[in-house]
Formats: sequence, C-alpha cells, structure tokens
Amino acid sequence: MPHTTPDLRDDAADDWMEQALVHDAREHRDAYVDDAGFTASVMAALPAPAPVALPRWRKPVLTSLWASAGLGLAFALPGTVLDVTRGAFGLLAGRSVSLYEIASIVVVLGLATWTGTAVALKRV
Amino acid sequence: MASPQAVTDAQLIARCLVGDDRHAFAELVKRHQSAVRACLRKLTAGNHALADDLAQETFVLAWRNLASFRQEARFSTWLYRIATNAWLAHARKRREELLGDRDDDVADDDEAVLPDEVGGGDHARAATLKIDMERALATLSDAERAAIVQCYHNDLSHEEAAYVLGCPVGTVKTHVLRGKQKLKRVLAAWNPGPAA
Repeated sequence: MPHTTPDLRDDAADDWMEQALVHDAREHRDAYVDDAGFTASVMAALPAPAPVALPRWRKPVLTSLWASAGLGLAFALPGTVLDVTRGAFGLLAGRSVSLYEIASIVVVLGLATWTGTAVALKRV
Repeated sequence: MASPQAVTDAQLIARCLVGDDRHAFAELVKRHQSAVRACLRKLTAGNHALADDLAQETFVLAWRNLASFRQEARFSTWLYRIATNAWLAHARKRREELLGDRDDDVADDDEAVLPDEVGGGDHARAATLKIDMERALATLSDAERAAIVQCYHNDLSHEEAAYVLGCPVGTVKTHVLRGKQKLKRVLAAWNPGPAA
C-alpha cells in the first residue's frame, strides 16, 4: 500500500479503482527488470574521464634539470669527457676507414640528427 | 573488505565524487536500473525501447550531476526525479504522439476488452486488467500519469512525489484524484458493482 494521505483515500477499502491500482502497483514493484547489458551500456555512454592536465611549468623545469645534470656531470668528471673523446678518435684513427664507410656514418648521423630534431619539435 | 550489499548508496556516491570511481557508479546503476526502467516503462505506456533510452539518459545525467545531489532525498527518489524530467522533456517534444487531447475520448471503448468476455479464469482476467490499466494510464495527462505512477507504482509519499514532480503537495493530490477519476471512467467495465 503506498503512503496514503487519509483525506484522499479514506474510502479506499470499498473503492474498486483503488484496489485495481494497488494491485497493479504491487505487480509493478514485484517485477524485476533484468539488467541484460543495460549497466554496461550506461557505463559506455558516460563521458570520458577528463585527461590530467600537466602544469605549464613542467617542461621548462625538466629541460633546466637535464641541462643542469649534464653540466654538473661535465664539471664533476672533466677528464672523463676528454678521455672518452680521445679514445673514440684513437679507435677511428687506428684503422683504415674507406670513403664508403665515412659516407655511411655521415648519412646515419644525419638521419639520427634529423629524426631527433623532428621528434623534439613534435613534442613541443 | 565489505561486501557490495554492505556498502550504502551514500558510500558509493562518495567514492564517485572523491575518486571518480566508475566501478562504484556501476554498482549504483545495477542497484537502481530495474526500478528506474520499470518506472519509465509505466510512464511511456509500455514503450520499452524508449524507456530504456530515457533510463540511460537518466543515469548519464545522474553521473554528471552527482555533485549536486544533497542527500535531501533518497538516491532512488532523486533518480525518479531525473527520469520523470527526462520523460516530460521527451513528451513535450513529441506531444502530438504521446499526449494529444484525450479528455473527450477517454472511454476508448473500441479497444477495451470487457471482463465478461475474458475466459481462462482469474489469471486471464488479471492479465487483461493489466493491459487495460496500461492503456488507461496512457489516456491520462502527463502530470496525472506521473503523479499516479509516483504515488502508487513507485510507492512514494505525496511529499516525495511532490519533490520528484517539482510541484506542491496539493497539486500532486489533485493530479492523483483527477487521474483516478479518469481511470474510473476508462475502466468502468471492470467495476464489479453497479455502474456509477
């Protein structure tokens, strides 16, 4: 029986319309509507979660940190940088290098440079 | 960890609001989908496809406006409110199909099945009455039908129905009374006593 207000339904006991409505309402409440994928369709229709916005200061701070780290490493290990450069030069100079190999290295280095530049520009 | 049944609607809502927890919202949908869809099926006079579309719209709106739910009513009542508003908005758009001027032809005798014609005992009579009730409800105005469905089928108090329908309690009572009078006329053939 619904929450009734007495002034409207005092004579409900012998009111066939009231009985019919109450019966229909009881059947209505007893009937369970099977989910049958409804919940999944609702969840699929929800708006996508808002992407987490990165703070604007993040990129310059990261760049500065990497630059500081590089400079710090160079100052902390000054001999190492020179030694590595000398070693690499010695290795290259100690063996005969053909013109074809030099051209290949130049091409590979050029491609790597251009690719790196393109990726960096795309991210900006 | 608490079982899903032990978690209240309020706790699930808090999870949705604080952590954008979609699993918690899915649990809320599972809990209330049957009641909301059944209510809309009643309001749309048995149009299941339309009712499900409106029910989906209801839950999406509930998700978007969850922060505005102040717990002044039960969550289910709040959902009924959104669902009823969605149905009313749809009915306004398609008034010529869903409402029309039915005051003069509420009897609709050409479609009603007389109880005496129904064979097969009580079950057949009950099934026929259910169909006739569905048709009779469809003859009511939007406001009358909504008031009847909220007060009877959703078992809400007049105060809760007023919250759902966004009108004063007195208006709800008036709609219920008028709706019942119309139903009485439409379903007069089912009156077991002498004709009024």
